[in-house]
Amino acid sequence: MSALLEVRDVVKHYGGIAAVNRATLDVEEGSITGLIGPNGAGKTTLFHIVSGFRKPEQGTVRFGGVEISGRSPDRVARAGLVRTFQHTKALTRMSVLDNMMLAAPEQPGERLSNVFLRPRRARRRERDVEVKAREVLAVVRLERHVDEYAGTLSGGQRKLLEFGRALMAEPRMVMLDEPMAGVNPTLGHELLDRVQELRAARGMTFLLIEHDLEVVMAVSDLIHVMSNGAVIASGPPAAVRASPDVIDAYLGKYGEPAAPAAPEEAS
Amino acid sequence: MSQLLSLDFWSLVGAVSGIYAVFALGLQLQFGYTGLLNFGHVASMAIGAYTMAILVVKAHVPLWGASLAAIGAGMLFGAALSLPTLRLRADYFAITTIAIGEIVRYFALNEQSLTGGPLGTSNLGGSTQVTEYNTDWLSFQSTVQGWLHDLVGHYAGTDFAMLVIVWVIVLLCLLVLTPMTRSPWGRVLRAIREDEDAAAALGKPVAWFKLQSLAIGAGFGAMAGLLYAFEFQFFSPDDFDPLITFYAWLIVLIAGAARLWAVPIGALIFGLIFSGTRFFNFKPFTYLDAAQLAYLRLMIIGAILIALMAWRPQGLFGKREEMVLE
Repeated sequence: MSALLEVRDVVKHYGGIAAVNRATLDVEEGSITGLIGPNGAGKTTLFHIVSGFRKPEQGTVRFGGVEISGRSPDRVARAGLVRTFQHTKALTRMSVLDNMMLAAPEQPGERLSNVFLRPRRARRRERDVEVKAREVLAVVRLERHVDEYAGTLSGGQRKLLEFGRALMAEPRMVMLDEPMAGVNPTLGHELLDRVQELRAARGMTFLLIEHDLEVVMAVSDLIHVMSNGAVIASGPPAAVRASPDVIDAYLGKYGEPAAPAAPEEAS
Repeated sequence: MSQLLSLDFWSLVGAVSGIYAVFALGLQLQFGYTGLLNFGHVASMAIGAYTMAILVVKAHVPLWGASLAAIGAGMLFGAALSLPTLRLRADYFAITTIAIGEIVRYFALNEQSLTGGPLGTSNLGGSTQVTEYNTDWLSFQSTVQGWLHDLVGHYAGTDFAMLVIVWVIVLLCLLVLTPMTRSPWGRVLRAIREDEDAAAALGKPVAWFKLQSLAIGAGFGAMAGLLYAFEFQFFSPDDFDPLITFYAWLIVLIAGAARLWAVPIGALIFGLIFSGTRFFNFKPFTYLDAAQLAYLRLMIIGAILIALMAWRPQGLFGKREEMVLE
């Protein structure tokens, strides 16, 4: 059986530099997969390509057996593949609750004709969505901020809001770009517990970029390591940890100065 | 000073304010809710007015049909305006819209066989034939005046009738826009205003929503163009210079972004400023002639805009906290 997400030989240049250079990886349905690599390895660019925000110059991306490379981001999301951003995108001048409710799919009230012709259907859906939004907000510990502007939240809280918002979209697979950066460790671990619960309960699939290697090793079934735009190793955490290629990528070959685990800049 | 007490004069001020309210409501949807910097809004007004007048005079289409077609043409124009948004964001889109607005005006100025050129609608049927687009409107207006006469007696002049018609339309516009902006549809627009990438990442087809917002906003612009044409019974390309767009911006900024019911109030304030300078008939203003007074008016509007930006950037009815969030 083929994987839920299949990335094949994807290439993307910025200027003259190959940000992603023939990257290939699989994410199995129902797995928690980690994507690690030194700063500038191309992880976030790969996320942009898979989620439709950038077009690959070469290569293919298949989701659920369907080719999605070159599709617009909203179509990728509606196909069930939802992402979060490394630099959070809270909708600041909207309430936390509105941020959450926006993400719910199949809202008939987003069609103008329904606003006037079928207002009750839209309202009914709104009520259901609001109940769900409050549930998810409780999970990410934002229930006390329901009516506040999302712009008043701290950086860590915005990460949690984005995670919750992605769940509201009822995705088949979620791609999390550094979900724990700036989140306090206790809450961060709760977030990962929630990821594991969702996987167990609903078979939801997760792909996460994370710099805290201990965390990502503990939670992932499988890990892909990127370096210089390519996937250089893939396997269970223990195997990846022992791979000489990975050690080289992180520590530099032949004893070059090491510079791991600094927070990654935007790519 | 007698003007200060003249009902006809204030009816005119009120009606023009109402026309600008309709016009600014379109911009409020585009900018206040969707975050689109449309600096060519006046073009939708021009397209509305010209479509109606041309259809009535040249194609002998009944006025109501021509008016509907005019609003349709405005909406089509708005939809076309969304094409550049596919590639251009924020300020680049703004620059493009200024140019598009001017293209529409220059087209009206130069395509004389269609629009009458610089002579405006008086030249629509050619120089030998005097034609008017508003005969049917005038009879409608006098019907309304008749109804009003039964209600308020001799106060019901033609200007007063126009005032009532315009503000009934303003009210109808608000009643249509309010449920729209409060609906999940409106929530998507606000999400696009905040961060269109976030909206797209959550599955919202951003381009389609921008198209709807621009088309509907331009529909309101076209409606304002119709009312403008009916109010003044004549227009030419000069009536649609870029300044008009900025009047709408002024109204939206006075009202506050994403505040629907504040727009008519902003429009009334604008109308008062705009017509108020004619009462500067005391020293030292008596040293100025009429043309200079007109420029003084623009200077006052500019000063108000600066003061607003400095001390109340959220507008009169906007929320301060929304201005400081990042």
